[in-house]
Amino acid sequence: MSDAEEEVMANEYREAAQYDGMDDLDRVPSMGSGGDIQAQLAAAATPLEFQATLETKFASYDNYCNLFHFILNSDGPVDIDVPNSSWAWDVVDEFIYQFNSFCGYRQKVAFKHENGEEIQLLRENPNTWGCYSVLNVLYSLIQRSQISEQLNAVKRGEDAKQYAGEYGSRPLYQMLGYFSVIGLLRVHCLLGDFSLALKTLDDIELNKKSMFPRVMAAQFTTYYYVGFSYMMMRRYADAIRMFSHILVYVSRTKNFQKNAQYDSITKKNDQMYALIMICVAFHPTRLDDTIHTALREKYGEQFNRLQRGGPENLPLFEELFRSACPKFINPTPPDFDNPEINIDPVEHYLGIFMDEVKNTMMSPTVKSYLKLYSTMDLKKLAGFLEVDPEKLRCWLLVNKQRNRQLRWSEGGLLEGDIVHSSDLDYAMEGDLIHVSEAKVGRKLVDWYLRNLARTY
Amino acid sequence: MGAPFDFAPERPDHIEQILNGLDRYNPETTAVFQDYVMQQCENQTYDCYANLALLKLYQFNPHLARDETITNILVKALTVFPSPDFSLGLALLPSHTLAPLSTSSHTPAAGDAPLSEAVQKLNILKNLLEGADYAAFWSTLDSDDLYADLVADVSGFEELMRVRIAATVSQSIREVERSILESWLDLNGKEFEHFVGTVCGWNVDGDKIKVPINKDNEAKGTVVRENVKFDQFSRVVRRAFEQPA
Repeated sequence: MSDAEEEVMANEYREAAQYDGMDDLDRVPSMGSGGDIQAQLAAAATPLEFQATLETKFASYDNYCNLFHFILNSDGPVDIDVPNSSWAWDVVDEFIYQFNSFCGYRQKVAFKHENGEEIQLLRENPNTWGCYSVLNVLYSLIQRSQISEQLNAVKRGEDAKQYAGEYGSRPLYQMLGYFSVIGLLRVHCLLGDFSLALKTLDDIELNKKSMFPRVMAAQFTTYYYVGFSYMMMRRYADAIRMFSHILVYVSRTKNFQKNAQYDSITKKNDQMYALIMICVAFHPTRLDDTIHTALREKYGEQFNRLQRGGPENLPLFEELFRSACPKFINPTPPDFDNPEINIDPVEHYLGIFMDEVKNTMMSPTVKSYLKLYSTMDLKKLAGFLEVDPEKLRCWLLVNKQRNRQLRWSEGGLLEGDIVHSSDLDYAMEGDLIHVSEAKVGRKLVDWYLRNLARTY
Repeated sequence: MGAPFDFAPERPDHIEQILNGLDRYNPETTAVFQDYVMQQCENQTYDCYANLALLKLYQFNPHLARDETITNILVKALTVFPSPDFSLGLALLPSHTLAPLSTSSHTPAAGDAPLSEAVQKLNILKNLLEGADYAAFWSTLDSDDLYADLVADVSGFEELMRVRIAATVSQSIREVERSILESWLDLNGKEFEHFVGTVCGWNVDGDKIKVPINKDNEAKGTVVRENVKFDQFSRVVRRAFEQPA
């Protein structure tokens, strides 16, 4: 990242932080609009206790249903004072979090098959925290606020207000709509639909200034799920770009934000370091210095080990994936009659991911040898590696295929061009491997500029 | 510019419409998508994004899921390896489909054992293909009658696989021994010569096969040159104006 970009980023952040003061949503809630709704609004943005009972979880679901029904289906837009500016984000965030943890809990209860009472209760309420209701809320908030139309107008350089309509022109709806887009990204990713997750963000331009830059947690969530989805689509270069962007942003703006928001993203921060380490193992890249240093500090020897490849790293990949992946959801009620088939979805995704790891784990080793030669005999190299020559031929084909990767350059997140991701290239002519390298030419501009400056 | 992931050239308008609207979640569209999968199997066309939408409908409405359609979608995804389509399909299946079979076979009541078995068998094929172990792919495909059943609906499956394998081969290879390529394509004699010569346009030279040079198997060294932007000189230019010499 260049200094200029960094400066823009820091300025944006300062601007955003100052803007907080003028924000009319920050008003103290007026008691006039009824204490009841205020209590509901506050509850919707508040996490449940860790030990909350099933009844509490059901009640919380009802609370959300009532609240969203009120916001979406009243006679015209509702006029309520929300507790503070990040309220809208907190509501959408907490809503999805509770959906996520409820599904996980239900799955566990079914798998353990111990608590008859809870099983009974869950059997009787199959539609509570159902995937259709959750998606319905998010899509309705998006449609009501006409946020897609607004974002598209911004993209064309027009005024979003013109397209906002009766609902979307109000900050409450606009914010709920915008954060629902991000919520949808997250839900699709949690359900394992990685391409639809990325498609959801078609209207948002990640490289431009966010509509709500000051809600840091929203940005953070966006980059985590976009990066993760890219990784599962094997677009490692794009995943690295996403993770790096936000991790650099966080490390450079750390000093401005000493609030609860920042604490809550620390865990995700660590997860993203783990993910970026995985991606770099698949796709060796020069990382931003800040990130490189942080990775060395956090992971030390493990960081180098992963990049060397080989089967001995499989447990490490597994451990990293488990610690850094989202808590995947099985969206439908589990099969209470066959407890053992209700496996934690994380295991499923881990299996899919590890297949890919196993498939490519020899690439770094092969590449490290090829780098040393301009031509090499396949049988000789097989001897070095102590492997059957035909096996090596397979590895060479695999590595070559994996060098071709889709990389985003413009447009929607699902777009991209095929690029060669490695500076090492080779081709086989019988048993002879021809190796070539992309070399970086001399950099003259810096030298020229420095000397020019001296002569002035 | 490559085509975006959600693009399919032969996608009919009514499918496009469903995919872009909320109807993609409507259980009633399941039948439409199922027909579309069948159509892809017959016409040798392919639309991953639409097929994933169907798997998502199954994910939300497990009672509607049809094992045969699921496996057809996965078999179609094999024909476009090494793209991630197969794995993306797996990601939308129930988590027990990849679990070791012994657990579910204890309880036949689970009912899904046949699906799990089929999915895991196909996953073996996927791993062989992505591992570029083409000879093992063909012998595995041949080893079990279940495979023949699974790929039966996909018209031209073997031909499609050969073309795909040939495509990956041409990216990395300029010349290869005939016997090796025969095992990769599972073809011999006249059929082999026809496929390699006419379909691929490669040259058979004794017991060597020569693949014409293309931009991938050329492996030419390049020098990355510095990309100079005018902005880098803005300071110098500005100073030139500020302090006329």
